[in-house]
Amino acid sequence: MMTSARRLLIALACLLVAFPYAWVVLSSFKTGDDLNEPSKVVFEPTLDNWSEIADGGVFQSAWTSLLVAAVTVGISLVVGTLGAYAISRFRTGGAATRFGILLSQLMPPAVLVVPLFLVAFDLNLRDTVIAVIASHLTFVLPVVTWFLIGFFDAVPKAYEEQAMVDGHGRFGAFRRVVLPQVRGGLVAAGIFAFVLSWNDLFYALILAGGNTTTLPVQIASYNTFRGVELGAMSAAILVSVVPVLIVSFFVQRRLVRGLSGGGLKS
Amino acid sequence: MLDRIPLGARFLAPLLVLVGLVVAYPLGYSLWLSLTSRTITQRETEFVGLDQYTGLLSDGEFGTAMRNTLVFVVLAVTIELVLGLLLALALQRQERVRNLTRSFLLTPMFVTPIAVGLMFRFLLNQQLGAIPQLLDVFGITIDFFGSSLALITIVFIDVWQWTPFMVLLLLAGLESLPRQPFEAARIDGASTWMTFRRVTLPLLRPVIGIAVLLRALDAFKIFEYVFATTRGGPGDATITAQFEIYRTGFQFFRLAEAAAMAFVLVGIVLLLSIALYRLLMRQEPATR
Repeated sequence: MMTSARRLLIALACLLVAFPYAWVVLSSFKTGDDLNEPSKVVFEPTLDNWSEIADGGVFQSAWTSLLVAAVTVGISLVVGTLGAYAISRFRTGGAATRFGILLSQLMPPAVLVVPLFLVAFDLNLRDTVIAVIASHLTFVLPVVTWFLIGFFDAVPKAYEEQAMVDGHGRFGAFRRVVLPQVRGGLVAAGIFAFVLSWNDLFYALILAGGNTTTLPVQIASYNTFRGVELGAMSAAILVSVVPVLIVSFFVQRRLVRGLSGGGLKS
Repeated sequence: MLDRIPLGARFLAPLLVLVGLVVAYPLGYSLWLSLTSRTITQRETEFVGLDQYTGLLSDGEFGTAMRNTLVFVVLAVTIELVLGLLLALALQRQERVRNLTRSFLLTPMFVTPIAVGLMFRFLLNQQLGAIPQLLDVFGITIDFFGSSLALITIVFIDVWQWTPFMVLLLLAGLESLPRQPFEAARIDGASTWMTFRRVTLPLLRPVIGIAVLLRALDAFKIFEYVFATTRGGPGDATITAQFEIYRTGFQFFRLAEAAAMAFVLVGIVLLLSIALYRLLMRQEPATR
């Protein structure tokens, strides 16, 4: 490709990515009247939208989302690390386990949500964070495990063998030698899993409500055509998006190996 | 006692128990539900065998939902692959502000999909959207959410969010390719286009396979953009499988029917992913 064409393509892509971001930031500081003129770039900024969402419980929703994501990621990392190591090193369960993990990762949420809804209802767990956490585990746990298999595969077996010669037991070798090797992968998997849980709308929409509204559900609730709501919606979107974009910068490089289950390195 | 069980099995046990609890059990429950007449209001359920499934055969709306979903997946993934490949090739040779550009271009895939859907709903809105106003300056009027264009608009919302995913994987693939074949092609005087077709593409094939498979499987789950923009309309132009299941189960409260729909979807996704896997992962390089 010619240099100028290449530069043009990259510049165009950057512009297309930046445009919606710029629009949301501007909208979050606009008054109702200014929102009716989307092309107006110079205007008197107002913090009304921000105080409206603060009163409207957006930070409460953000807290719920944070709680759900933290617990989901915590459980997934512990259980997923052990499982991924077993699958990678001991081939426990053989190809069937690997395939099973991949399969549960691609399960459409639609097939699991009906029974989860009924079980949550029967156990009186509807509208609690527990129901949402359980539903998020259905996709976060397989993804984290899949992600970590790739990182464990990359640790040379000789490291553990040396550690065992040095007098560590199998578990000691795992904890002292293998785990530090995959620390980067653990952090990346944790952040990626966090983003998946933080961004989910489908399960949270059906299983949670009232006091346990998560941030994406709250954002969806501003979906009206009244101008004031548009400003509040933009502010709420920024509350959701800004933290995620900041952490995303730290994981991007490690995502490749994790997503491809070790099939690809970067 | 515990020592007799191999370490691998002990390590794997918590994962199997938890996946069994949150995935396998609901899956079995759902399968049983799909053979009953369960709705939200009616607790006494009756076993009806395959009635729900045969009912779906004559359900025109479900057929439309499946067709829309297929069209969406094929269009979105194809466009994302082509754009992703072009961008990855361009980024590979970029020299200045390399890391910052890459990081920035990858950001859309981290944004919550409902926010992406809503941003574009309002950006493209006929009355107060920035994009129609901009186009109006050039005398162009497009009804982005009219019945003929709505599904395509949703495809492009997906393209905005997920082309970065393709770029991420393809760029990593490009950078891990061996150098020698490219040297050889250069010495043989092959043109850029020939090098791309005869060297880059065949070498990149496994990576393209993984990227397309992962993206296609994810695209089948499309829900948020439809929920944010059209809610299936106009008419049933943008009803997708997951949205139809949501509506049937949680707005019309016909849980058993929703479960049956979900299993049809799983079956189709499974068949297509096996076919796609075979097609893309064949070992012999493309020759022509």
